[in-house]
Amino acid sequence: MDKEQTAAKPKLKLAVYWGAACGGCCVSVLDTHEKLLDIVAAADPVFWPIAMDIKYKDVENMPDKSIDLTLFNGAIRNSENLHMAKVLRNKTKILVAYGACAYMGGIPGLANFSDKEAIFRRVYDESESTNNPEKIHPQREVKVKEGTIEMPQFFNDVYTLNHVVDVDYFIPGCPPQSERLVEVFSAIVTGAQLPPPGSVVGANDKTNCDECKRKKTDNKLVKKFFRPWEIQDDKETCFLEQGVICMGPATRSGCGVRCVVGNSPCRGCYGPPPGVTDPGAKMMSAIGTMIDANKPEEIDEIIETIVDPAGLFYRFSLPGSILGRKVQ
Amino acid sequence: MEEPRIGVYICWCGTNIAKMVDVEAVASEVSSMPHVVLAKNYKYMCSDPGQELIIKDIKVHNLNRVIVAACSPRIHELTFRTACEKAGINPYLFEMANIREQDSWVHTDRSEATKKAIDLVIAAIRRVRFHEALEKRSVSVNPATLVIGGGIAGMTASLEIAASGKQVYLVEKADHLGGMVAQLDLTFPHLSSAQQIIHPLIQRVKNNPNIKVFLNTQIQQVHGYIGNFNTTILQNGNESVEIEFGNIIAAVGLKPFDPVVIPEYGYKKIPDVVTSVEFEQMLLSGLIQTSEGKDPRNVAIIHCVGSRNKKFHEYCSRVCCMTALKYVHQIRAALPDANIFEVYADMRAYGKGHEEFYAHTTHKQIIFLMFDQQTGLPRIRKAGAADKCNIIIEMDELLSGISIEVPVDMVVLMTNMEAHDDVKEVVRSIGVSLCGNQFFIEKHPKLDPVATTTGGVYIVGGCQGPKDIPDSVSQARAAAARILATIAQESVPVEVTTAQVNELLCCGCQTCVRVCPYSAVSYDESKKSSVVNEVLCKGCGTCGAACPAGAIKCKHFTDSQILAEIEGIMSLSYKY
Repeated sequence: MDKEQTAAKPKLKLAVYWGAACGGCCVSVLDTHEKLLDIVAAADPVFWPIAMDIKYKDVENMPDKSIDLTLFNGAIRNSENLHMAKVLRNKTKILVAYGACAYMGGIPGLANFSDKEAIFRRVYDESESTNNPEKIHPQREVKVKEGTIEMPQFFNDVYTLNHVVDVDYFIPGCPPQSERLVEVFSAIVTGAQLPPPGSVVGANDKTNCDECKRKKTDNKLVKKFFRPWEIQDDKETCFLEQGVICMGPATRSGCGVRCVVGNSPCRGCYGPPPGVTDPGAKMMSAIGTMIDANKPEEIDEIIETIVDPAGLFYRFSLPGSILGRKVQ
Repeated sequence: MEEPRIGVYICWCGTNIAKMVDVEAVASEVSSMPHVVLAKNYKYMCSDPGQELIIKDIKVHNLNRVIVAACSPRIHELTFRTACEKAGINPYLFEMANIREQDSWVHTDRSEATKKAIDLVIAAIRRVRFHEALEKRSVSVNPATLVIGGGIAGMTASLEIAASGKQVYLVEKADHLGGMVAQLDLTFPHLSSAQQIIHPLIQRVKNNPNIKVFLNTQIQQVHGYIGNFNTTILQNGNESVEIEFGNIIAAVGLKPFDPVVIPEYGYKKIPDVVTSVEFEQMLLSGLIQTSEGKDPRNVAIIHCVGSRNKKFHEYCSRVCCMTALKYVHQIRAALPDANIFEVYADMRAYGKGHEEFYAHTTHKQIIFLMFDQQTGLPRIRKAGAADKCNIIIEMDELLSGISIEVPVDMVVLMTNMEAHDDVKEVVRSIGVSLCGNQFFIEKHPKLDPVATTTGGVYIVGGCQGPKDIPDSVSQARAAAARILATIAQESVPVEVTTAQVNELLCCGCQTCVRVCPYSAVSYDESKKSSVVNEVLCKGCGTCGAACPAGAIKCKHFTDSQILAEIEGIMSLSYKY
């Protein structure tokens, strides 16, 4: 980044926040390595729970639109996530859904295949490591002698950031590639022409197969689907043609096809390409054409070899997809 | 996108829709929807005044989208598209909501049917906003025609086309022309000679300078599209000939079912149990005799052999009942004293003159015996030495309710007509489909029975389903007329609602290539993208559904159009 340019401008105010997240997105910001110095040279972090000590009250007291850029990672799982999404929306000029969870619901979004009651039952009553004979479940409020302690409300559904507030840009990935973040950040700092609000940035329009170096043909017929460990990968042939489900064709490129380069099929964390609203449905349609059988029972047998199809095809995208959740 | 200005028209279809759907309520309910400029109801939208109403409104109210809620688009979509075109708006900016076949005709609760009509119209309103103007396209037509099959249907079609001075290539896999009719003695119901029908036809075909006949010839994979096909044909198994043609008629016919698989009938095990095909040969030779060279005194004719029975073929072969009655006349003429038994399951006399033929035949001193085709096939066994006959038929006679034994000297099995063994190769080579009975599928069973979904490919005669000579000839002439019309036009319109690959989005995974039933999609190595040949494309949408990258757009069936329609019909939004 050009030092003179950054010096000439007032420093940006930057916030990085996590909703229902694993922390990986925050780490991806740190993973910019020495470029982080450029980032902090151009922007002052004003709120970043993983890196600095600041209370929600301090954020709530900031003037509206006083934060230039917020990277919001994580899904909306509970009332605390929702509250901070709304606060940060008011305080921020450019709100970015950063990473697969904020963008599409991500891994926490898989909870939409279940519901609050079933999740609590599993976690607090039934799991192998649970010892809870009194069946104590989290309460919204607990009275102690100092007063009343409030807990955030656990929602029945997981939402994307865009479900609850207006989002300016989406940076996909689990986590986003740090190089892409640096590119987007540089564009914002230098005042480059930004795409229209609502755009996905830090990624390409074509899907991963375009960048993938493995050999592809039109013959994708398979008699059985395999999990990656069930085959001896020849490291050259398209995973799909080896019967391993790879989300590459339905997943926006931008990551550098890193999983496939590492000989692991694409899991779809970069989400759908432009114009596709439901990458899971798209991929299932494509997979349907690969089944090498004509009789219904043969087809069923081959489909049976796909382990956990819902989790596989909607691994990162369930809340943001048309499907949204399991019907209750 | 220009601001949509939508006109909505709700048709009464006389009482067809209006008696079950409150058409006024539908119109008033949707009239306040965004972009709806007007919503009217009218007695018959398809009538001239109905169409005039649309044309006038388009001009007066400057409409740029039109919706008619009426019958199935199969029936009147073209009517209303044409009306839109007359008024100066692109026909693809029209959308039809089917509130008759999918609503008023199938419901009995008026308020529920009205609600459903509203949902269907809302779906159309939501969809039509996303419609795009599409331009018509056409391709030139090679005036030559390929006819596959030299039976009565193929020869009739060939002569009809050749009469206009156009080239016909007639390909027959056997070493002679004539097909099934050449194997028949007399025809029903007039008992006229099949040979006198077919032989002059064969001579006319052979002598026609515009018809090139290829005997002992198989067709290979046909390439190209309507108006511009080509293939290599293989004559006598080795001589290959390249031909180019604009249209194809498939007239490959049917073959007789082999009753050896029905254990009850003992065919090929019991002497003098013969098929109708073998019996025709006897009639042609002029001698009805048992294997021992004697005149049979008792002859049984068993109907529905391999027909109308799920174990063999579920369908009716249509020609066997009348052929069986024809045999009565021929046997009675040859053997005046013979006893004749018509062993039947149902007597089907649907055609012109057939019922009269049946009534006339019943006066020929014959015995009708009925059996249950599903559960009670007659059982044929060889007679013992003491019996005064060759064969005994045991059967549970349905009308009398008693089990009987019928002593006979000869049994004629009225065999079903079924598809040829190589029919799958034929359909693959010309790009058409087969139904479950292995008959070629027509484009529309009522409105377009000789065309197929592949442009320029027509189906006539038995291969489309069992039929008699007049029906085969009618189809042949119909297909010839269709082809001559396209030749006369010199060009044909091709599908507008085709698939299109966005090369900026195509990732080159090639999922789409093999799913295309029309071989219209290929992968272009230099572009690193799939490409659709829009002349071959029929707009079926399979590649668009399969494309995981969202790179294939099916015109007029885009994701945004379909999703808007679904959201409209469900009246739901998946946004929080």
